[in-house]
Parts: sequence; C-alpha cells; structure tokens
Amino acid sequence: MSNKIYHTLSLFDKWVQENNNLVNKWKQQEGGGDTLSRDQSQTHLKWCTSEFETLLRKIQGVPPLADHTQLEVSVVYNACVCFTAQSQFTEAELLLKQATERALQMAGNFPVASDPPVLWRTVLKSVENTALNSCVLYLLCLQWAIWLATCQLKMIEEFQEELTSLVETLPDGVWDDRRSKARGKSFDISLLVMEPRRLVELLQICTSIAQGAERLSEGHSSEALSGLQIASSLPAPRILVAYTHFLSGSCLAHMSRPQMALQCYRKALETDFRCVCALYQSMLIYRQLGNTQAEIQALHLLHSTRMLPSATEPALACTHLLSPSSLLRSQSLSSLLSVPSALSVLHNLALKCVLHGRVSEGVEHYLDLLAAFHSEDHQVHAEVPPLPRLTELYLEAGTALLMAQRPADCMALCDEVISTTLELLPEKLILEELEQRNEIRDVSVEGEDRVAMLLWTGAAYLLQGHCQTHLKDWKQAVIHYTRCINLLMKVWFKKRGFQPQIPSADMIVKEGTYLSVLQKLKGLSLAGRGISFTQTDQLKEALRDLQLSLQAFPECVGAGLWCGEVLWRLGRRRMAAAHWEKTWTFSAQSSLE
Amino acid sequence: MSLYKTPKQTQSSSYEMLSSFTLPLVSAFVHEDELKTRMRRRPVLICVFHGQTASPPFSSTSSAEAASPVSHFHLKPVLFKRLFGIDTALIKSPVILCGLPDGRLCFLPLRLPGSRLRVLHSLEQPVVFIGASVVMKTGPEHAQCLVAVGELGRVLLIKMDKGGSEGECSRAGFTEGCVPGPVVCGCVDKRHLYYSTGSDLLALDLSKGSSGIEGQECGEETSAALQSPTSLNVCRVISLAQPTCSPAGEVQLLGLSIRGQLQRITLPVWRKDARMSKLPQGRCSARDLLSAIGDVYERASVLKTSIKSKNQTLRHLNQVLNISFLLLASTREEHFPIQEKPIRCHAMTKWSRLLQKDSLNLTCVLDNSSPYVLERGWTLTIAAFPLSCSPSAGGESSSTNFSFQFCNLHPGETLEVSLPLAAAGDTYFPVTINCSLTFSVTSLLGEEEVASFTGLQSGCISLPLNTLTVDWLHVLQVKSSTASHKNTTSQPNNITTADTIQAFVRSHRIWCSGRGDGGGGGASALKQEQYSACVRVSSELLRDTLVLKSSDLDPQEPMLAPHNLCISLLDWMLSDSLGGVKMGHRGDEIALSSPVVHAQGPNGDTVKLTAKEVNIGEESMAKESLSAIEVRVESSSVAAVCGLHHAVLHRVQTLLQRAPKRPASTKTVQSLGLRQALQRAECLLQQIQQSRISAAFGVGESTRQMTHSFLSVYRELRENPLLII
Repeated sequence: MSNKIYHTLSLFDKWVQENNNLVNKWKQQEGGGDTLSRDQSQTHLKWCTSEFETLLRKIQGVPPLADHTQLEVSVVYNACVCFTAQSQFTEAELLLKQATERALQMAGNFPVASDPPVLWRTVLKSVENTALNSCVLYLLCLQWAIWLATCQLKMIEEFQEELTSLVETLPDGVWDDRRSKARGKSFDISLLVMEPRRLVELLQICTSIAQGAERLSEGHSSEALSGLQIASSLPAPRILVAYTHFLSGSCLAHMSRPQMALQCYRKALETDFRCVCALYQSMLIYRQLGNTQAEIQALHLLHSTRMLPSATEPALACTHLLSPSSLLRSQSLSSLLSVPSALSVLHNLALKCVLHGRVSEGVEHYLDLLAAFHSEDHQVHAEVPPLPRLTELYLEAGTALLMAQRPADCMALCDEVISTTLELLPEKLILEELEQRNEIRDVSVEGEDRVAMLLWTGAAYLLQGHCQTHLKDWKQAVIHYTRCINLLMKVWFKKRGFQPQIPSADMIVKEGTYLSVLQKLKGLSLAGRGISFTQTDQLKEALRDLQLSLQAFPECVGAGLWCGEVLWRLGRRRMAAAHWEKTWTFSAQSSLE
Repeated sequence: MSLYKTPKQTQSSSYEMLSSFTLPLVSAFVHEDELKTRMRRRPVLICVFHGQTASPPFSSTSSAEAASPVSHFHLKPVLFKRLFGIDTALIKSPVILCGLPDGRLCFLPLRLPGSRLRVLHSLEQPVVFIGASVVMKTGPEHAQCLVAVGELGRVLLIKMDKGGSEGECSRAGFTEGCVPGPVVCGCVDKRHLYYSTGSDLLALDLSKGSSGIEGQECGEETSAALQSPTSLNVCRVISLAQPTCSPAGEVQLLGLSIRGQLQRITLPVWRKDARMSKLPQGRCSARDLLSAIGDVYERASVLKTSIKSKNQTLRHLNQVLNISFLLLASTREEHFPIQEKPIRCHAMTKWSRLLQKDSLNLTCVLDNSSPYVLERGWTLTIAAFPLSCSPSAGGESSSTNFSFQFCNLHPGETLEVSLPLAAAGDTYFPVTINCSLTFSVTSLLGEEEVASFTGLQSGCISLPLNTLTVDWLHVLQVKSSTASHKNTTSQPNNITTADTIQAFVRSHRIWCSGRGDGGGGGASALKQEQYSACVRVSSELLRDTLVLKSSDLDPQEPMLAPHNLCISLLDWMLSDSLGGVKMGHRGDEIALSSPVVHAQGPNGDTVKLTAKEVNIGEESMAKESLSAIEVRVESSSVAAVCGLHHAVLHRVQTLLQRAPKRPASTKTVQSLGLRQALQRAECLLQQIQQSRISAAFGVGESTRQMTHSFLSVYRELRENPLLII
C-alpha cells in the first residue's frame, strides 16, 4: 500500500485537466479544420460548449474561493466564446452575469443591480487594484464581443473608457504573472480556447468598422472617416483592414470627393483582393464620373472575380472560433458590403459594351449570359437588383447581334421570343390611361403583363424586319413589319370617360409609358415597311407608310428623310425639300437638347 | 408559430445540394394537424417539363428516365407558359410542382435566376396527389391537364380554356370539384383519375368536360362530371401505381392494399361511344359480380368480428378505468392508512438456506379488497431499490424489478408471490419496495394494432400501490437463548462460528487499515472496537403506546414492569409488521426472555440490541429526572450499527405518530440539553464543511485522515441522543 496508489488528483487539478483537455481537443480540430465539413465542426463546437458548461456548473457548485478564480474565469471565458461563436448570446450573457456576480461576492460585495451596465461598473470599481481585476477584465472582453455581435454600439460607446483601458492593460500579461507565481506545476494552468490578446485586437477593429458603417449611414461622414483612419493602422486580419479602407472610401464618396474615394478603394483592393465591394463601388464612381472605359474595365474585373470559385464563399469566413463575420452583423454594414451577383454584373457589362461601341465584345457577353441561363448548375438565389425580364434580355441580345452584323442569329433569338409569347397574346387589348408607368398594370390571372408581352412580340417582329432589311430581302422585311403593325393595331387606348380607340398621333404621350413605347414601335415599323416599299419601288405604299410613321412618331428622323426621298422620286420636289428642312431642324433641335 | 420545410434539390449525378428553400407555414391549424399525423402527411412533389423539349435534359440520360418516369410530365406548352410564366418557358426550365399539407400548390422554376417559390393555387386541404393527364389526346406525351387532389376529396383540374366570346385569348382554367373523400391515394391515366378512399377504389372520367361545349358551360359540365365517380369495388387500397393500358383498351392498375397485398386490378374496356353509362353493363360478367359479393361479405364479416371484440374491449376497459380511479384516489390522499387501501400489498421477509448460502426472500401478498376484478392484462410490478449501494457497483444505485402477470383476481382474493431480495452480504439495507400495478394496452388491442399506434410509445399505464421498506430490523437473524437451541437443527454450529470468525476478521481488517500506521496497533488489535449507538425513549411514552396496543391482546397485565417494558419494546420492534412488512422466521413466536438480543445481520455481523431503563435529568434538579428506556445497538461493524440505528429510529417515529395526544409536557428537562445538542451539531456541521472543501481541493490531509475524521464526526453524531418523549 504505497502512497502512489492512494495518490489521487485533487478536484481542482481534475477540473483544470478537464478544461485543458477540451481546449486541446478543440485546437487540434481547428488545426485540421479544412478536412472537416462545416456541419461536423458545428457539431463539435456544440459538444465543446456543452462540456464547458457542465464543467462550469461543477465548479460553481463550490462557494467562491479566491484561489480558484483563475480556473473559473477561464472556463467561463471558454464557454462564452463557444456560445458567442454559435450566436447564442443570451446564454453567454447569462453565464457572464453569473460569473460577475460571483466575482462581486469574492470581492466581498453583494450584487445589487441586475442592469448590465450598472453591474459592470460596480464590479469594476470593487475589484479595482485587487488580484481579481485581470480576471474581470477578461469577462469584460467577452461582454464587449456580445455587445458588438448584437449591434449594441451605444453600450460600447458608453463603456468606451473602460474598453480603451482594457486594450492598454491586457498586453502587460497580468495573467501570466499570476500563473507563474501561483504554482510551478505545468498542468494547473488552465488554457483558453482563444488568446484574449487576439480577441481584443479583433474586437477593436471590428468595433471601429461597425461604428464607421453606422455613422456613415447616419450621414456623419467626416466623423466616421477619422475613426476609420485610426482603425486602418491597427493590427488585424487583412480583410478587415481592407474594410476600413473601403469604408473610408465610401465616406469620401459621400463627401463628394470621388478621386480620393477611388484612391481608398484601390488601397482596399491592394490590401485584400477579396474586398470585391470596393471594386463595385469604384465602378459606380466611374459611372458617376462618366468614365466609360474605366467603368467597363471595372465591370470586367468584377465579373471575373465573381466567377472565381472562392467568390461564392463569404470573405469573412474563417476557421477560427470567433470569426469577424459573427461580430459584424449590422444592417448598415451588410448593405454597404453587398455586391450584385455575377449574372447581374455580366448583364451590366454587356449592355455597357454595346452602348459604347464595343459591340462584338458586348455580343460575346450577351451570349455568355444566355448560356448561363441554359446551364443547369447555376445557383438559384435572390438577386439584389433584379435582372430584367428574360424576354427583354433576349431582345437586347438580338439587337446586339444585329449590330454585330449577325442577322441570322438575331432572327433565331427573335423566333424564340415570338414562339413563346405568340399563343398567349390577346385578340384585343385595351390600354387605359395611366398616370404612371408603375401604376396598376393589366396583369392577367397568371401574373403576366399582357401589354408588355405584346410589346415584346412587336419588338421581336421589328427586329426580324430589320434583319431582313439588313439582308436586303425586302419582301420578307415587309412581311415582318406588317406582322408587327398588325399586332400593334390590336391595342386600343381608352381615355377616362371615352370609348376605347386606336391611339392617334395628336395625343400627348408621356415618356416612358407603355403608350409611348407603343407609338415608337409603331412609327419604327411603319418607317421600316415604308423603306422596304421604297426599295421595291412601290412608292405610293411607301409614302403612305412613311407619313403614317411620322404621325405616330414625329421624332423619327429616318422616316422624315425617307419621306423626302420618296416625295422627290415622285416628283413632288417642293414638298420633299420642306420635309427635309423640317427633319433637319428637328434633328438639330433634338441634338441641341 | 411557424413550421419550416426545406425541400432540397439535388442533382442526380453528384448529389450536391443546389439550393434550398424555406417556406413558412403560418397557419396554426396546420401545425396542430402536423403534430397529430406528421408521419402521414408529406408534401407531394412532381417535376414538370415544358412540352416542346423533345428530349429534356434530365431524362435524356437513360438512367434518370428509367428511375423516375412517373414524376416527370411534359406539359402542353401553352399551359406551361400560362402557369409558370414566359421566362420559365423561354429557357425551358423544368418546374418543381409541390403540394403542401396546408393545401397550397406551389411551383418553382429550377433554372430561373432569382426565382422563388410561388403559390399557384390553394386547395384548402392537404394535397394528396398531383398528376398530369393527356385527356383525350392519343398522341404522345404532352399532358393537357394538371390534376391535384386534396385529402378531403377536392379535385382541381387545370387546363386551357378555349378563348371566350369577346375575343379574349385562351387562359388557364382552374376547375374545382368535390368527390366523396377521404382520398388516400390516386393516379391518372390518359382519361381517368383513379383514387382510393380506403374502402373503395373509384374512377373519375376527366375527359367529359373538355370534349364538351366551349365557354362557361364547359366548366359546369366538368364539375358535374366530377361528382359522379364510378365505383370499382376494390377496397383497402393505400397506394396505386401508374396505370398501364393494353392495346386492346384494358387498363391495368397495380394497387397495394393495407394488408400488404399487391393487387393487379384489370378494368373493363371503357366504351368510347357510351358516354352516359359509366360502367358498361354488358361487360359485367358473373365472375365480376361474384368477386364483388365475396369482397363485400369479407368486409362485413370483418366488421362483425371487430364490433364484437370492441365491445369486449370496452367492458374490459371499464374495469380498468374503475380500478385506475380507485388507485389514483387513494394515492392522492396521502394520509390514507395502508391498511385501508382497497388494493394493497404487504410483505414478509424470510431467510432461507439453499446450497449453504443464506438468502433473504420476500413474500409479497397482493390483497384485492376492492369490488372490482383485476382482469387479464394487469401485472404486479415490484421494484426493489437499495437506499445505498456498495462502492463496487460504481456509485449507481441499482434497482431490481420483478413483475408478475396474473389472470383474474376477484374481489377478496389475494395473490402471493415471493421473490429473492438479496443474498447474504450482498445488499445494503434498507431496501425500498415499490409495488405498482401495470396495465398494458397490448392486452386490449392485440400486438399489431399497438404497433401501428405510433402515438402510444409504451402502451402501458402504471399505478402505484404502496411502498414498503425492508430495514435492518426486518432482516436480523435473532439468536436468542431459546432460539439458538432450535436453530441448531437447521443451522450447524460450526458455520455460525465460522461466520463469527469471519466477521471478526473482516472487522479487524477494517480496523487495521483504519488505524494501520498508528503505531502500537498490534496490541490493541485484539480488543475489537465496538461501535455503538443508542436511542432513548421516555418510558411514559412507551407505556402509553405499547400498553395501548397490547391492552386488547393482554388485558390482564395493564401495567408493565420496567423490565417487561424493555422486553416488550424489543419484541415489538422485532416482530411488528411495520409498514406492511413482517419478519417471517419468528413464526414460532419465541417470547423474548431478556432485554438483550443477539442477532446476526445480513452481512454476517453479529449485533447486540440492549434495552435498559435509565434515568435522565440534570443533576441540579433531580426532581425533574425522567425514566427512559435506552435502546443500545452495538456491533463491531459500522454498517450494522448505522443500519440498525436508522431502523430503530424509524420504528420510534411510527410509535410517536401512534401516541395519543397529550397536553404538552410540563417538564422542562431538555431545554438546556437541547441547546447544547444544537451547538454541538453546528460545530460538527462546520467540521464537515471544512473537511469537504479541503477534500475537494486536496489541500492538506490525505484520504485516510479524511475518512478517519468523517468517522469520528459520524460517531459523535450518534452519541448522546436526546430523549424522545
């Protein structure tokens, strides 16, 4: 019966060992984190949390003793970090509250208030200059994290002083002193899942970012800017530093200093290329400045970064326990950081290219976009700025194809649109006078906008007509234009208090309404048919169509010129001259405007 | 309160999750329903393709087509466009159509960016089935009509209406009709919807309406047709497979009945010209009629037997309920004495010797003095919990359960069962015996019904009867002077002595390890340490209660001498059937002759019980002295002393409860002693706390010292008890 058999560890040592085992297990798992799936690590985290909690319950069963504070605080710290990482803030706060109350008891005071700020102040005051102080500061760290994660920035501001002093006192390593002093053995130092120094650094920069975003959204740009400038020099993960630069840029953009803002965005991207929002915002600034080439380039870059496989996972995801993403949850920040999806960017890019003379490039982008819709593996998620309707995209792509001298492809696209919509078109459609375009539309039972559908089909026919014109197949062109015109004639217009009628030229048409689009389409298709008739020497029909076209859409320069031409050919030279003159002055006016 | 469902879309090749959607079900009504029949109600899913795609991307791979041809439909393009939108049609995206348990019919285009689940229609009852039917077209594949069936029999047809009179374009028509429900399952073929209500299989002709006249009348006619489904006289079908149609026009259905029969149902040829007659009469052969009659007869006989058995069950259940109420009422009134409970248990302990091994048997008697019969299905369950347990068992207190099934215990009858309680030196007394009556629903319903009854996990109700306690006094083997003579016949002396020696050696060892390195242990080892504890009871109280008790037995001796009082106290303690438990081996009624009892405990330790009269009182006021009986327990084993002390105290407690109410004693004897005792107790408490905390953190003392200090505290607690008046 030697001593060794009976030599058992004391309860205190057992607890320390249990805590350390858990921490080591966690660290191992974190080290090999890449091999585990997200689900697995989540379950592991859950398990760790419950283990810490059980351990804590055991420890708190003993009356508070000053000797064991360090162990108790370590376990509270570990449990709270785990809870916070799982966004279980109420549980974490409860633990913190219990721990602070026990700390108060140890200091000889009895808890009076249940209000967190008051409680904290009492605790901080009562443990000041005692050995407990450092322990309590650790708990305060966690309280800070919870406040930040639950967006209670007011609370953080209230405790600004204490938190700043916290940042200053922590590096002194009070903890380590106590450890080495207390016992020489190795196993009784209780480990922590996350180095408090790292936590404080993380909290500091995250707080700056959150505050900056909040102030920016409230309109205090200059105030936000100064805070962010300070934060940008703090030691932190690269992506967070990039965010400070990005937010500074946003502030500057708000203060209408676009060039400086661009500088900041560039710095953000240089710091961390995953900060895609900086790219997006600089694109918007280029658009605002009218620098089309730069805008297109930015869109290009944006699209290629969005297509990278890493782009799908959020930049803030992190294998560590408390990731910045769990601390930065404010609404204003996430709206600032949002970037449209790859498809939306691609559409923007294609449209910009086509509109600014880079047609072939634009066509490629449009084709990519259409291919993306037909592929099976793209992700279905809500688009933040919604894409335009697919039919409109098809028509845009068709136009681009025509501009790129590929009439056959354009025809195919238009055919698809027509074949989908044709069966659903109504025989007769009455368009009521509407104040605004966005007011009540004629939405049928199945949720389709019937007027829009008709206009899409009309536009598709028009495009087909244009294609035929392009191929110099005048007969076919006439057929397509006629289809378009027939379709458009189905629309009746109803003024309030009047019978429905076919819209006439003398009506005042507001820009952007269905009616204006309708009239424009009508004018263009009539002009197209007139021109085709002219080519086949059916001058009478041509003249009729061109004149009707001018009635429907007086601004159509082409129709005016061709009308003059036809008149000239018919030998009515004076009228022709008058027409030309009128058209020229008109186009000059419009160009002046 | 909202439920969330997450239909996951997986790609068949790689099984990676493409995306997930959540849709909140807000209605609380649905929630309740969900809870009740969660197992049965699942959302119904089908996948619908745009009709124009000749070879849709999903089913173009042969495996996919082979795997699930049923749930993929090619809808007519116009209808597809109307229902799911132009954009979906333009990129020819497949659409998931799903019917939810709250009656909503939702759809989700798979490939449209930013698409969300949208509601197409609401059936307002759980959707059981969604399908698509060609309706009349013999040409391949493009379904013209979507059918959804709700659980309560609402049928929804979605098809294109022909353009109306005022030049409107064609639009999708939603026609609702009702068929007699409840619908269990369904399927469609080219023209008919087949559905089963559980008791019958019915066919509904879908083609009626669409081939009729256009416009408004069309709708009316459809709903009229919906109300007259044709019965096919097949019952208990719970699942149907997609029908196949032979070239001759015969339709074959595969159905699964609730009994697990797979049935092939061949339907008669539907005559195309006879639109009015639902089932062509001429084709009804005698065989069909006979099979129909047979079917009906079978159903009727099954119903008859089930009614009979249900009546039986109801009668049975009535008895069960009566007994349950009786037992519940008696448990609710805690003060109800055990003797007056209508159904109760009492027990008897008995040592027996088998294969040279002592074991303690407990004989339990269930006494049914209620007016009800305990019928088949009741089980007497006896659970024995040792209060503490041996350290070798790992600290888990283990309980032993015994259950005895019995048939028909009529009023006034008793049931006697006996069970082994413990082998010698095995169990730690006192043991709590919980008696309860358990009724299992299985005996009422039969196995298969219980198995199908998922809500009923255990299928048992358990009603506690009463709780008995077997303590140290019950398990003592008394070796009184006379008894030892008698016992010699059954129990050879050498074994007894061997036991004694063994006990001695054991206690000696404990003693040694307790004090092992104390120094001069060798000399003192011979003198065995005796542990003792005592309880003092005022003799006045004893006289009152014991006399009161024995007066009806022995009226000649109203006043007991103090000596006799001691003996009768011990006698009472050892023999009384306290709490329903009796000591069995004293059946031969040996009267105790001396106030000293030697006995053997269950672990083989010898114990001595002594009762003597003492006078207690403070020296200063001798007048106030009080005569009392001191019961002293002595043994070399700590466990025995503890157990017996506990048991004796327990007895005295019951004695006190029985004592007649007296005016408060004027004697102020104990006031001073009380204070002292209190102080001592406080002091001891402090000592215990101190050593516990230091034990927890291993500061200072070793385990051995700790044990020692605890032991001393314990012994001090046992000393100097107050007088019980």
